[in-house]
Amino acid sequence: MSERLVINPVTRISGFLEIDATVEDNIVTDTHTKGLLFRGFEKMLTGRSPFDAVYFTQRICGICSSAHAMASTMALEDAMDIEVSDQGKYLRDIIHGCEYLQNHIRHFYQYTLPDYVAMPQNNTLFIAKQTDLRLPKIKNDLLVQHYFDSLDISRSAHEMLAVLGGKAPHNHGVFIGGITTQATKEKISRLFSLLHNITEFIDSKMVPDTQTVAQYYQDYFEMGKGYGNFLSYGCFNNYSQLGTLYLNPFIYHDGIKQVLDPERITENIATSWYTDQTETYAPNETIAEPDIAKSQAYSWVKAPRYNGLPYESGPLARMWLSGEYRHGISAMDRTIARVLEAKKIAAIIKVLLSNLIPGTDVQQVYSVPSTAFGKGLIDTTRGALGHWLKIENQLISFYQIIAPTTWNLSTRTEDNLPGPGEKALIGTQITDPSNPVELGRIIRSFDPCISCATHIYQSGNLINSIQIVS
Amino acid sequence: MKKQINSCPNQTEKLKLVSMLANKAIMAIKNGTIKKRNLVWLELTGCSGNIISLLDAANPGFKNLATQMVNIIFDNSLMVAEGQAAMEKLFAITADDYILVVEGAIASKDNGLYNIIGQFNGQPITAYRAINELGPKASYVIAMGACASDGGISAGRPNPSGSLSVQSILNRKVIKLPGCPCHPDWLTGTLSYILLYGQPELDNKDRPTMFYSTLIHDVCPRRPYFDQGIFAEKLGDKSCMFKIGCRGPVTPVDCPVRKWNQHVNWPIGDDSPCIGCAQFGFPDRMEPFISYNTTREV
Amino acid sequence: MSEQHFYDKDFNKTINDINDTIDNLYLTEDCYEKNKLLNNLRKQIANITMMMQNNQNYSKNNIEPVTQNDPRVFTPEELSTYTGKNGNPAYVAVNGVVYDMTNVAAWGGATHFGLTPGKDLSGVFASCHDGQPILSTLPVVGVMAP
Repeated sequence: MSERLVINPVTRISGFLEIDATVEDNIVTDTHTKGLLFRGFEKMLTGRSPFDAVYFTQRICGICSSAHAMASTMALEDAMDIEVSDQGKYLRDIIHGCEYLQNHIRHFYQYTLPDYVAMPQNNTLFIAKQTDLRLPKIKNDLLVQHYFDSLDISRSAHEMLAVLGGKAPHNHGVFIGGITTQATKEKISRLFSLLHNITEFIDSKMVPDTQTVAQYYQDYFEMGKGYGNFLSYGCFNNYSQLGTLYLNPFIYHDGIKQVLDPERITENIATSWYTDQTETYAPNETIAEPDIAKSQAYSWVKAPRYNGLPYESGPLARMWLSGEYRHGISAMDRTIARVLEAKKIAAIIKVLLSNLIPGTDVQQVYSVPSTAFGKGLIDTTRGALGHWLKIENQLISFYQIIAPTTWNLSTRTEDNLPGPGEKALIGTQITDPSNPVELGRIIRSFDPCISCATHIYQSGNLINSIQIVS
Repeated sequence: MKKQINSCPNQTEKLKLVSMLANKAIMAIKNGTIKKRNLVWLELTGCSGNIISLLDAANPGFKNLATQMVNIIFDNSLMVAEGQAAMEKLFAITADDYILVVEGAIASKDNGLYNIIGQFNGQPITAYRAINELGPKASYVIAMGACASDGGISAGRPNPSGSLSVQSILNRKVIKLPGCPCHPDWLTGTLSYILLYGQPELDNKDRPTMFYSTLIHDVCPRRPYFDQGIFAEKLGDKSCMFKIGCRGPVTPVDCPVRKWNQHVNWPIGDDSPCIGCAQFGFPDRMEPFISYNTTREV
Repeated sequence: MSEQHFYDKDFNKTINDINDTIDNLYLTEDCYEKNKLLNNLRKQIANITMMMQNNQNYSKNNIEPVTQNDPRVFTPEELSTYTGKNGNPAYVAVNGVVYDMTNVAAWGGATHFGLTPGKDLSGVFASCHDGQPILSTLPVVGVMAP
């Protein structure tokens, strides 16, 4: 018997997502992941001052705004032919690292944990018919306690960010050349002390809590694998003094790790609500026009491909490519990799802080070339983020954004290969189709951010689906 | 006892205000003199950055808010329920008393289909429909952030999604807390005041005067530089950001005193200009954010 | 002379208001009320600053009779070069008078709510600042050609 399960909204993610799954004999045979938000940043950016892209594109996403500040800044530096000093890189990578910490802590405690932990039902925010909860009461209570304790820690990650970035979300610090301000001795020592507390929390609570969840949900090491193709643009890398502290741009396919070639990145709109002269294009070629009436399209998520194939990006991809974590590829491995990555990033920030020269001013007066092209590719919290921009008459004439979630929750091309998120859901055994808790657990392991995947749009055509009653 | 003399009353009273109001509200709820109220948090056409900003709140923090001040019925980013069950919670509350906080604008193009917040009994619920169903019945509507208050970034030219502000859809009083994002104190202070006394004093654009009454320029620590004509030439300089394009002189909000993220820093303190994110018209009418070629001396 | 008289009168009234506010600040215990009073104080100080600027510009305009008798005349083409960019001052025409906005606080980066200098902005000025005593505070540089 075949039935259709729709989860909408998939809560505890950033933005709006629907999972539409076909289930036969309790096995998922097909899925479509659909984002439900379209704002059209590429169109908005056209005609604006190139400098404004740094603050403007941050507003794509409230939880990972610094990621867009990084990519747009790097694209501008590429276009304007600006070499960034090591000190400039350290400073802005510290800001970026703080964003990782804030994200990973919130994603683990506020977004992931309620999938596995019985949340107190005397609070309306947590009221839900949770099923398949396995933790013994004493451990469960401890993790609930840490859900609340973590709020102070993720908050202090944003406090660190603001010390150098002015404010968070949507910082003012990251800019061409590094950051706007200088790191004084007082600021550096404040950052060390905040970082110390965060590191202690990760070591003493977050890592053990992850182990607790993994211990009671061993079956999730076998679920949500996906393709096992990994891609990263690299991050915390190529410092002239320190070398690479984390990862250079690589891909992983068929068991082989190779250097990433950005020229092999394409985007496809075969099943997305867009039309253009061509369905497949390079990122710097064209911005497809919205087309709601397009047949065969089921979503407005575009489909980025590397060498024509879908790739997963994010913490597991990075930890795998850097060789730090090779336990396996699954929903639980994604969560573990994210938590271990938080620990790694905290260590990297410590190194960067130790190498700061207090009071270094990295800012200059910049001028915009009349014509230029630039790209900024960087791995951010959720994975590979690319900004491609063109400047004409000193204004932005073209802006392309391919966000990590566009990779991870990508739609399909003409070959009908599912996107990585869809692929991870297919084959999943659903214990109770009236409450398919497995789907949310797997998709959340990707840490989707629909706000970033701004191209995404849902058709709104109604299907006669079986509703989930929980 | 020695009296503290080295603190400016404008600073200390401003910073005390929010925690004072919140503590009062929490005590009153404990004593039973006022009731905890229901809160519905709608994330609509935006970046969901205001709920993240709220998680950065301190004194009161998010935990105080969610456990001691209000019952949060619905919030896409944090609630445990998902799918149909989540939407049932949302629509069931309309029979009860609730305060509605909205972040994000409302996409109106193509019947609002650019932003669907969930599916209820097989029907896609657009942001447009959600605000129309939940807005009129709420006891208070608070537009949190630039997009909800005035369209904000989501309505940036050429406004591809046809995004509108909450007020342009609802024919009722909407309290506006512009800012990109809104400072958590502006929300927790306003909410505490509502719990205790009802609607706070608002200016002619429905912004609470306790936060939005003084121009940044009038209390800016770099004001002496402006008065003496000492202007920053680039980001990173310690003088007045006027020539770079600072919007402090047109933005009435208490950033210079309150600052951000545990009062640790703020945009001008970060040697960058205010970009007017808490003023109506952001971003289109506040751009360009950064200019280097402004005439310095005539 | 009568302008000066009004100035003194308004000035004295604002000083009285400030004293009242300070008296009330001593009396109030409530933090919310204190905030409101402090906000008032800020506004009153801003008023005084505005009046002082008014007065300065008023005297300046009166001291320079050359400007009064033989004002510089701008054609729209001439005006359009005063964009506030690359060494050019920022001039804006309102109701036939040309004002210098180069160092006016609300024109950060030589822009103001999406408007740029070098233009006649009489229409938008009327729609945004109707009834506000702004023009008298601005430095005058000439008039538009009839």
